[in-house]
Amino acid sequence: MVKTDVLVIGGGPAGLAAAISAKKEGADVILVEREARLGGILKQCIHDGFGLVRYGEKLSGPEYAERFIGEFLELKIKAKLLTFVTSIEKNDKGFKAALVSKEGIEEVQTKSLILATGCRERTSKQVFIHGTRPAGIFTAGTAQHFTNLLGQLPTKRCVILGSGDIGLIMARRLTLEGAKVLGVYEVKPTPSGLTRNIHQCLYDFDIPLYLSHTVTRVFGDDRLTAVEVVKVDEKMQVISGTEEIVECDALILSVGLIPENEIAEDLDVEIDPKTKGPKCDTHLMTSVPGIFSCGNALHVSDLVDYVSESGETAGKYAAHFALQFQDADNKNISSYTGVLGDGKLVDIEIGDNILYFVPQSLNLETDLSSVIVYFRSKDVFDNSKLKIKVDGKVVFEKKYAFLRPPEMEKLKLDFASFGITDKSLILAEVEVGVSE
Amino acid sequence: MDSWSDIVDVCSSVAIHGSHIHVVNDIKFTGDKIPPMRIPSLSDETLSGKTPDVLIIGGGISGCAIARELTKWNLSVMLLEKEADFALGASGSNDGEVHVGFDLSKGSLKQKYVLLGNKIFDQITDELDVPFKRIGQYAAFTQSWLFIPICLLALWRRFYDGVWDTRIVTRKKLLKKNSTFSKKMKFAVYNSSAGVVCPYGLTIAYAENAAENGAELYLNTAVLDMETDKDGNITSVTTNRGKVYPKVVINAAGVFADDVAEMAKDRFYSIYPRRGTNSIQDKKAAKNIDTIASVQYINKAMFKKGHTKGGGLMRTVHDNVLAGPDAVETYKKEDTSTNAESIKTVYDKQKGTVPANSERDIITYFTGVRAPTFEEDFIIEWGRKCPNMIHCSGIQSPGLTAAPAFAFDIEKMVVEKLNPEKNKNFNPRRQGVPSLKNMDLEKRAEMIKKNPDYGIIICRCEEISKGEIIDALNRPLCPPTVDAIKRRVRPGMGRCQGGFCSPLVMQIIAEERGLKLSDVKKASTEAVVLYGETKGGALHG
Repeated sequence: MVKTDVLVIGGGPAGLAAAISAKKEGADVILVEREARLGGILKQCIHDGFGLVRYGEKLSGPEYAERFIGEFLELKIKAKLLTFVTSIEKNDKGFKAALVSKEGIEEVQTKSLILATGCRERTSKQVFIHGTRPAGIFTAGTAQHFTNLLGQLPTKRCVILGSGDIGLIMARRLTLEGAKVLGVYEVKPTPSGLTRNIHQCLYDFDIPLYLSHTVTRVFGDDRLTAVEVVKVDEKMQVISGTEEIVECDALILSVGLIPENEIAEDLDVEIDPKTKGPKCDTHLMTSVPGIFSCGNALHVSDLVDYVSESGETAGKYAAHFALQFQDADNKNISSYTGVLGDGKLVDIEIGDNILYFVPQSLNLETDLSSVIVYFRSKDVFDNSKLKIKVDGKVVFEKKYAFLRPPEMEKLKLDFASFGITDKSLILAEVEVGVSE
Repeated sequence: MDSWSDIVDVCSSVAIHGSHIHVVNDIKFTGDKIPPMRIPSLSDETLSGKTPDVLIIGGGISGCAIARELTKWNLSVMLLEKEADFALGASGSNDGEVHVGFDLSKGSLKQKYVLLGNKIFDQITDELDVPFKRIGQYAAFTQSWLFIPICLLALWRRFYDGVWDTRIVTRKKLLKKNSTFSKKMKFAVYNSSAGVVCPYGLTIAYAENAAENGAELYLNTAVLDMETDKDGNITSVTTNRGKVYPKVVINAAGVFADDVAEMAKDRFYSIYPRRGTNSIQDKKAAKNIDTIASVQYINKAMFKKGHTKGGGLMRTVHDNVLAGPDAVETYKKEDTSTNAESIKTVYDKQKGTVPANSERDIITYFTGVRAPTFEEDFIIEWGRKCPNMIHCSGIQSPGLTAAPAFAFDIEKMVVEKLNPEKNKNFNPRRQGVPSLKNMDLEKRAEMIKKNPDYGIIICRCEEISKGEIIDALNRPLCPPTVDAIKRRVRPGMGRCQGGFCSPLVMQIIAEERGLKLSDVKKASTEAVVLYGETKGGALHG
């Protein structure tokens, strides 16, 4: 049995950052990655725009990943590649994971666990597209894998459903490879992707964007031959009579990402229905002491820079947890709570116009003077104001000229100065229609 | 007539259930063009001049089971399937339930074979190394006044019809054992011998075992025409791969059984196709149910006209939850496209079974087309005008349960006619691809030591290794397609529906079979996935 302080599951940007930061705090770290190479989905993101927030420069996905992989290797962190976590169980020494690889089965005992498992794409059946079952229906990420990693063209003439960022990126990418992108169809009245991607990937290439439209059916017995597109009303219900058949050979879907939390759920980690990621405190520790969450498994970020940032937070505190745990070696983990989880958790409730707010709770035993928070608005708002209220009193507010759900907002807040006690009611809300 | 449902009504109303006189529908349907049978694009002379003792038309559960049983004898057995894989018709797109026959009365072939079939399922699935679980079935009722009549029916079924395991379960016991069930249930009929199996898995296993025992099975091969002599015997069968000259022909052509009968000038029944849609839910939903359950209502509509196939919720043999099927008449024999109404119908009904079960957990759905006759019974008999054809027609639910049993009887019919010797080398046992996920860690480690590819996980959702995929490709008759691999060892069956693993599976198929990536197809030979290299693709190799 191999022993470690911190076990990181996932070798994408969140896992890499978490492993590096845990190592720097002095913990023994093992990272498990099921693919043959580190970097996660960044490996196939050959477009630029990564690292603007973090480094102030525009990097491609692989370049961004390389910076972390370089540091990871320098720190001589143990990575287990082509290795799959088949089961994890909680025990009195922390967690025991069973790993499967070419070498066989290996069991690892760890004190803390970081879940950096990323997210998966919503599929055509999950958005209830009907019709036949032809070849030629791809999620944008799969199309990107074929195009960028395998050098294979998955379509010559396609329709893209959903204006999520990967869909927009693929619209441009496939156009550059000589495919015809007939249009991007978005069921909502506003785009789902970043504004910069709408401009750089669609408008610059004359690819039409059809808002309040969706795809309902596909046709074709072998390869896809056409799709049915329809207009939808403000409740996103199909307007009958607006059906139109668009002949094409592929339907590419960019209709949302779902955090992958099957391991977390198996370990009884509480999931926030809003983020679909674990409910976490300011150290990104989940409801199960010793389990930390970061990156897109925690909540789907718009920029990789934030993914790395949450990885660093989770890594740092997972290391702290493990190192403190070491001092109390004879104690059972459930009685061990120490600094990191003595039940003094206060939830941050979300009020009007907020889609979600991370972290979901504050641990009053910890330093709350500079807490990074992320939130998304429920809708597109001009001139609005984020307000943090404690027991009905506004303790913080910030004006936003523009809030859009696709664009995540990040803030650093000094919760220590808000006079919060374990009986406080904390509320985050967005007030709209604020005058200049 | 221009309304298909009117035609169905007319034919059904004159049909006598269980009768040996069948309704042949010759009413001209003017409402739409009935689409012709899809024919494979393949065209060669591979089969030209072959003279099999037995030619089986159709590679569904019936055809494949019959082929396997016939290989017990020194007979040359040839099976033709027009699709790119086995079980792509109704056999592959049903719910996989192994029925008990509670809804059937003595006297029909369905009832006879469902009882026999259910009994031998343990043996058959053991021999063919196919997972099978007897998880029991509840048919629950919400109307208290039905208690006495249903008790009487249950007694009748148990002691007269021979459904030996029929029991009545009271509300208290029912809800104690199944805490997720609707509190509106008053009582239920329970049959412990109901089970679940993977329907295409079983069909493919039969096909593989038949091939291992010497049968020749051909995919992408359609029967186009037949010649008969003055006595009505079939003398030759024309396919897209040449003309063959069989001694006996078995018609197991599913929805096209009446078309095949017509080729043999022996069309004494009609098939009227009926669609059924099933949904598959994420394994997470399995916490809601570990059995088969449905709620039965008695209402006026049922007395009017009922082809309301039961339908229900079940835990599948792979631990997903399945909801369905519904029943909708169609004139399109191969229309397996899905629609929103079918999903809604099924879920509206299932809310009454397990209220917590939600369509939000759906990961996929599919439609199959059943092949009933207007008499709603199987036809298993020698041709009436064609003496060397056996009809195995009208096979619909519970066809999957019944097939292992009627395959034995069809075997007997052929043996009586051709008097063959026993095949001394017949091996009833097939070794399936090992499922590593289900092994204990020690055994799994041992397997990986023998073959390190078992340690490389390709499909994260279903935890399928590269080794298992390569094993599947090395089994007999496995087409080099993404869907064939998916149906054999399940990569792509999980919640991401192949988003992560399909590029990897395609690479493995290409490597193992020496193909270009773009030559690896989804299902049929025409189902192109990739159009070749990108501009810079060659650089990637």
